[in-house]
Amino acid sequence: MFDGGWRVGVTVLAAVGMLHAPIAAQSMRTVTTSRQITSRDEVRVSVAYGAGRFTVRSLDDGLLYRMNLTYDEDIYEPVAEFSGNRLVLGVDSRRGGVRLRGHREGELALELGRGVPMRLDLDFGAVQADIDLGGLQLTALELTTGASESTIDVSSPNRARIGTARFEVGAAEFTARRLGNLNADRIEVDAGVGSITLGLDGSWQRDARVSIDMGLGALELRVPRGLGLQIRKDSFLTSLDSEGLVKRGDTYESLDWAEAQRKVTVDLDAAFGSVKVVWVR
Amino acid sequence: MPVSHIRSALPGLVLSLAAGATLVALTPHDAVAQVREVVSKQVSVGRASASLSLEFADGGRLEVTFEDGAVLVDGESIGSYQPGADLDAAWRSLLGQAVALDDGPLAQALRDWSAPEGLTGSPAEVAGRLDRALEDGVRAAQASGSQTAATGSGDAGSLVRFLLGSGERLRRIEEALAGIAPGARVHGFEDVVIGPDEVVGTDLVLVQSSTRIEGAVEGDVAAIGGTLELLEGSSIGGSLRLADATLLRNEGSIGERLVEVEADARELEAELRAELSDEIRRELRRELRNEMRSESGGFSLFAPFRPVIRGVGGVLENLVAIFVLALIGAAVIAFGGEKVDVIAEAARRAPGRAAVVGMAATVLLIPVWLLGFIALLVSIIGIPVAIAWLPLFPLAACVAAIVGYLAVARNTGEWLADSDYPWTQWIRKSNPLVTTVGGLVGLMLLFVAANVVSMAPFLGVVTGLFMAAGIVVTVLAVEIGLGAVILTRAGRRREHWSAYTADEAWEAAMKVEVDVDDTRGETDV
Repeated sequence: MFDGGWRVGVTVLAAVGMLHAPIAAQSMRTVTTSRQITSRDEVRVSVAYGAGRFTVRSLDDGLLYRMNLTYDEDIYEPVAEFSGNRLVLGVDSRRGGVRLRGHREGELALELGRGVPMRLDLDFGAVQADIDLGGLQLTALELTTGASESTIDVSSPNRARIGTARFEVGAAEFTARRLGNLNADRIEVDAGVGSITLGLDGSWQRDARVSIDMGLGALELRVPRGLGLQIRKDSFLTSLDSEGLVKRGDTYESLDWAEAQRKVTVDLDAAFGSVKVVWVR
Repeated sequence: MPVSHIRSALPGLVLSLAAGATLVALTPHDAVAQVREVVSKQVSVGRASASLSLEFADGGRLEVTFEDGAVLVDGESIGSYQPGADLDAAWRSLLGQAVALDDGPLAQALRDWSAPEGLTGSPAEVAGRLDRALEDGVRAAQASGSQTAATGSGDAGSLVRFLLGSGERLRRIEEALAGIAPGARVHGFEDVVIGPDEVVGTDLVLVQSSTRIEGAVEGDVAAIGGTLELLEGSSIGGSLRLADATLLRNEGSIGERLVEVEADARELEAELRAELSDEIRRELRRELRNEMRSESGGFSLFAPFRPVIRGVGGVLENLVAIFVLALIGAAVIAFGGEKVDVIAEAARRAPGRAAVVGMAATVLLIPVWLLGFIALLVSIIGIPVAIAWLPLFPLAACVAAIVGYLAVARNTGEWLADSDYPWTQWIRKSNPLVTTVGGLVGLMLLFVAANVVSMAPFLGVVTGLFMAAGIVVTVLAVEIGLGAVILTRAGRRREHWSAYTADEAWEAAMKVEVDVDDTRGETDV
């Protein structure tokens, strides 16, 4: 397939990219921005970050947020806008072009205040994300990631209740821990290609539903013993390692499903790949 | 009092409240309280510039920037600096502290900042101006309202936050303060007791306070937040207006009327909700009626003609599709030239092979697209190509399918031209565009037939059969075409070179037998 024409095309595209690459050395800038809590009303927080390292933590000293951002000022500019009850954070592209040489990774370290209820919308691309949502008051959560390596942890219980938490994962290695602490009625995971690990540990306040739509990849469900688990599988070419589960009709259930204090139903729609259930203490 | 007067008086009253509260809060040992409350900060440090941007609780801003040799305060230049010199270093050091500080301590640090020792000349002057700018910027506004009455508050910041916290609250405050005269006695965030023998000769404003009235208030009372008790024997000469406030006990007398601002708002909200739900109910009923009418085939003048209208519409759709594809075909023939011939030839000579290749390609399209994208992402050089790959690959696949389909249509047109079917005499093989159009009509004939048959009653099954056959023919044509495009590398490689010699080609074209005798130079026909 890669005969002369293709090679020429690829070379031209690469050359165009090189032309856009700034010749000058990379100029990194550091921005620290924070805001006090001025109202206890719910805040809608949107965070967008393209590439680099991305961390999220909670903080508890009267601040709505604190953001430390290191970025290439030739390419990006910081965004920190608060208007009404809407907070927009992250970086925005200053102009087109891709830096191909001497690239140094940027970093966004975000701390969000525990004292205010939040609808949180995280959107990041090719990043290495380490996110701990523990202790926040989340009333809604939407997380969208592209080609990233992401770890989401909910280290302590959410102090508010979420209707539906959504995770949209592109081509990524995605790990979510202690999802029970999210205090969500429903969790939706829409994964494209990659490796997904979902930890269903944590403190479940009520029975919940987890919906997983996966294209191509491997899914590992880490389930604490004692949690009732039911899997409804609708898949094309997907294998299920159903250790510790018993098949009843079209569903797989944990042995203690009937008497479990908290029950989680997983609706699994997968095309190609493997699904593994790992029981943890 | 007119609304405009209330609105104009409101900021003054708010300022009085805030300033009064601030004055009470100010004491020599509490220096932090002398600075403005910082609600937002941004510290930005780069190679060529270093800036600090503050937003205060009163809505004010302060921005100090060292950039390209100029020192700017709120966008105005106050002098210049030498990058890397003492002043620049001192400023960056201050920003280093500011990163870790918020609100009071931050404002305090800025106020306490002073020019570095050892500076002389112009840098010293600029540092002095910067020092003054910082002090002026973070210093709290002094109370100047002569109308400020006796007030008390433990927390000026809380009062300001409470007052400016939300638009809705300000609206309620505005309503509650209607009729309050300037010079009113104001209390905020404290316990207030009007004793049994005490008489307040003015209006009384209570903000988020816990108040007990045992004596008399001659004017109006406005309570915003907090609680209010009117004990036995107490009296209010004017009105009592409550905004988000709770009246715990009402054993006193109110001269005019009791107004609950929040209650008014709630009533209005309830009315709006009721109106909205009525409107939704009416809308649902209307929709339901329409739905039931259409489902039950309710009486309509056009009802008998519906199948005909639908059928004619379908035929028109088919004709438009043929027209659009013919336009694309003209462009393909004009720009594709011989490549289209090569694709058509491959499809004609080995339709089975082309169909298999096309089907395999259809199945593999999405995996190849995804895997190609991932493979390109692996290398940095591949990232821009990967970005182009995402939209261009599906686009290329669509173009290949359309071009292939048109090539098959051309073959179909040629076949129809050679056939003895009626209505095919207009297809001339000498004109590739006409041949293609003829082929398109042929390929879509089953759809046209399905639409025509659908106009007649009781022939739904036949319509379905025609439609299914049309879909099969179209899918086959697309797969054969796509396969031919792939086999010929988009028409750049001949899959089958012509097996004809020049004479055999003549024979095939003329449908005659040719016997050539080179030695005699004669031809027998």
